[in-house]
Formats: sequence, C-alpha cells, structure tokens
Amino acid sequence: MGLSGTYTEQELISALKAGDDQAFSYLYDHYSGSLYSIIHQIVKMPELASDVLQEVFVNIWRKIESYDPIKGRLFTWMLNISRNAAIDMLRSKSYQNSQKNQEITDTVYGKNQVTQTNIDRIGLTKFLEKLRPEQRVLIELAYFKGYTHDEIAQIEDIPLGTVKTRIRNALLQLREYLK
Amino acid sequence: MDIQEYILSGIVESYVLGIASPEDGAEFERMCAAHSEVLAARNAFELQLEESLQKQKLAPPRELKSRIFSEIGMEKNEQPAQIPMRKLTLVPRIGFAKYIAAASLFLLVGSVLLNLYLLNQYKKTIAQYNELVATQTQVTSTNQVLQTKLETYENAISLMRNPLMAIVKLPGVSISPSSMATVYWNTESKDVYLLVNQLPKPVSDKQYQLWAIVDGKPVDAGIFDMGEGVSFVKLKTIPRAEAFAITLEKRGGSMTPSMDAMYVMGKVTG
Repeated sequence: MGLSGTYTEQELISALKAGDDQAFSYLYDHYSGSLYSIIHQIVKMPELASDVLQEVFVNIWRKIESYDPIKGRLFTWMLNISRNAAIDMLRSKSYQNSQKNQEITDTVYGKNQVTQTNIDRIGLTKFLEKLRPEQRVLIELAYFKGYTHDEIAQIEDIPLGTVKTRIRNALLQLREYLK
Repeated sequence: MDIQEYILSGIVESYVLGIASPEDGAEFERMCAAHSEVLAARNAFELQLEESLQKQKLAPPRELKSRIFSEIGMEKNEQPAQIPMRKLTLVPRIGFAKYIAAASLFLLVGSVLLNLYLLNQYKKTIAQYNELVATQTQVTSTNQVLQTKLETYENAISLMRNPLMAIVKLPGVSISPSSMATVYWNTESKDVYLLVNQLPKPVSDKQYQLWAIVDGKPVDAGIFDMGEGVSFVKLKTIPRAEAFAITLEKRGGSMTPSMDAMYVMGKVTG
C-alpha cells in the first residue's frame, strides 16, 4: 500500500533525489507515523523517540542519494534507518542516563508504566506476544536491542545454532502473521 | 542449494528487518540478483511489512515537522502542508471570485427559466402535433373511402356507357309500385348487371333475388345486397331470357321464386 494517489514510489524517489521539498513533506506526512511507532517501540520514551525521528528524517533527506532500489523498497530503507538510529540511541550515554532517571522515578512513584504498555502493544511488539517465550526473548534482543546472534548466544548462554533456529522459526511465523 | 528451501530459511525476513549478518546479507543480495523467485519473495515480504506497519501509526509531536524542515534549511515550509501539491496553484482574488459566483448564479437562474419556457413550448408542440396526426389519419381514411366509391362509380358508368349493353327496365309491381330496378345485359358476353333504382330495404334475414324468365320458367340469376349509395352489381351470366323479375327471398336465395313476394318485373324488348 504505502503510497497513495499523488506519487508512485518511483516518482517519489526521483522527486526526493531532485531535492523536491514538497515530496519530502509528503514523505513525512505519509511515513512519520509508522516510523515513529517503530522507534518508540525500541526506545520506549516519547521525548527520545521524537529526537530519533527528527534525526531519521534529516538523514533520509541528506542520504537519499545513497538509497539503492535494488536492495529493497524505500520504506524498508527508511525502516532500517529508523531502527538503527533507535538502537544507537539505546546505547548512547544520554539514554543510559535517562534510563537511570526513569528507574529512580519508578522507585519513587511505584513501578508502573501504564501509558507506555498501551503504546507498546502495537506493531511488531504485538507480534512478539504471539511467540513462545524463548523465541520472544531472542527477537527482542535481535530486533529491538540490535544484538548479533553471537552476542545473543553469549547473553542467553545457549548454543549459536539454537539461537539461529529459534530466530528463524520466529521470523517464519512473522511472515504468516503479516499475511 | 534448493531455492524454495533458501526462501523459507528465514533469510528473507532477517535481511529485510536488518538483522541478518553482513555475510548472510551479501549472499542474499547475490541470490536476489540471480533468482527472480528470491527477489519476488523479498518484495512480497517488504510489501506485507510496509502495509502492516503503515496501519500502526503513532502520531509524532506536532512541531516536529517544522523542526525537521528548519534543520534541513527549509524554513519556508513551516505550515503543516497536508499534501500541498493538491492545492490549486492559481487562486483568484476574492473580488473576482465574487463576480464569478454572481455571474454563475445569474446564468444558472437564466438557464432554469429558459429550460422551463422551452419545456412548456415543447409540451404545447407535442399536443399540436398529436392533434395533427389524428386529423391526418382521419383525412386519409375518408379519402380511401371516397377513392373506393369513386372507383366503383367509374366502373359502373363505364359499364353503362358500353354500347353493347341492353337495358331492361323493371318497374314495380302491385305490392310495391314505387320500386324500380334496371338490368344492364351485355348482348355479347351475356353478363348481367343490376342497378337498384329503388327497393325497400329488406329485413336482415332476407335477400333480393333476380330471376331470368326463360321459356316461361324462372331461372336463378343471382342474389344481391343493397349497399350504401348507388348499388350496381354484377350477377350471373344469362344467355337467353324473355323477362327479368326480383323477388324477396330468405337469405341465401331460393330454388324457385316466391311469387307473392315479387317486387319488380320487366320484359326484354327487341
């Protein structure tokens, strides 16, 4: 679905590469919602998520020349930029600090993140709930935290082969889930 | 490696989601270039993913768009342009728009009135036309009747004018002295025609019958009805006769004449 009416994906890409700000405005109106959602599912904090989204769109604008349609759709490219930027944020100092603050807040006011839990139950996070616990934890680590299979094997203390098999089975379920 | 097996190995999904290792990713890109099935599987999953995620939007803060636009140096685009390319580029001035609106309204009202007038005219014309058609039909049928009558008369006159015709007058007899008929008898073809000058109109189950008197005996010469107007009918061919007479018989005629119902009779002269 993605694009409706005004631009085909081809037209949108050409317009963006030509520096057309109307096309960029359209891109933002059309895709910021879903990208913001995925970023939010990773960083879990609205202020940080909007910082990441800003960085993502600035990068899309600046790096559109490097987008190669052979490697996938425009949305896939933007989705990966978003995920990578969100994971970078997870690993940044400012995130670690705000996490600590969050923990303090939780300790002070009683641990409950009602609003966040609601927001979290969308998109791929909703899919996670359908997985068996041992699969869920691996997808969580691989997709939402950005760990490699090797790192996951170490963290979870299970064989690399098992990590791969479980992730593979989870991904095949995802394909069915999206159908 | 079997292509289907490869497609179902989870590589499609992990590549698209960006969690494949760099080596696996590079291999997948080669497989996409080499096998259209792999490429098709990737496209399908990408579309599914996009469709699914596009349904699960979360609205970013309102001011974020203008922050992004100012960061990339597009201050001019502060207004939240909701598909701006759809806007009309040519916006007429308000005064001009008013004038256009007034003119449009005027034209609309004018058009409605004109249409009503034309509709009325149209209805009138249709009524007149239907009247004319009815009159025309009537005239045509009258004309046909007249035409038929005229043909009959012309036919009768041309027969009467024939010099070979012998004329036998049949005056009324005692029961109906005012009756009168004339036999036109072609001396060559021996055809007999009858002209009814005057005979009482018979009741519906009776018919007049002409008799030829041959050697003192009546011979049937045919039955006839009296139509409208001049009645000139062709009856049977009679080779020889001394006299003719008309009697009123039952419908369909009789073998022998009812002598008490004889209306006219006349002798052949010469």
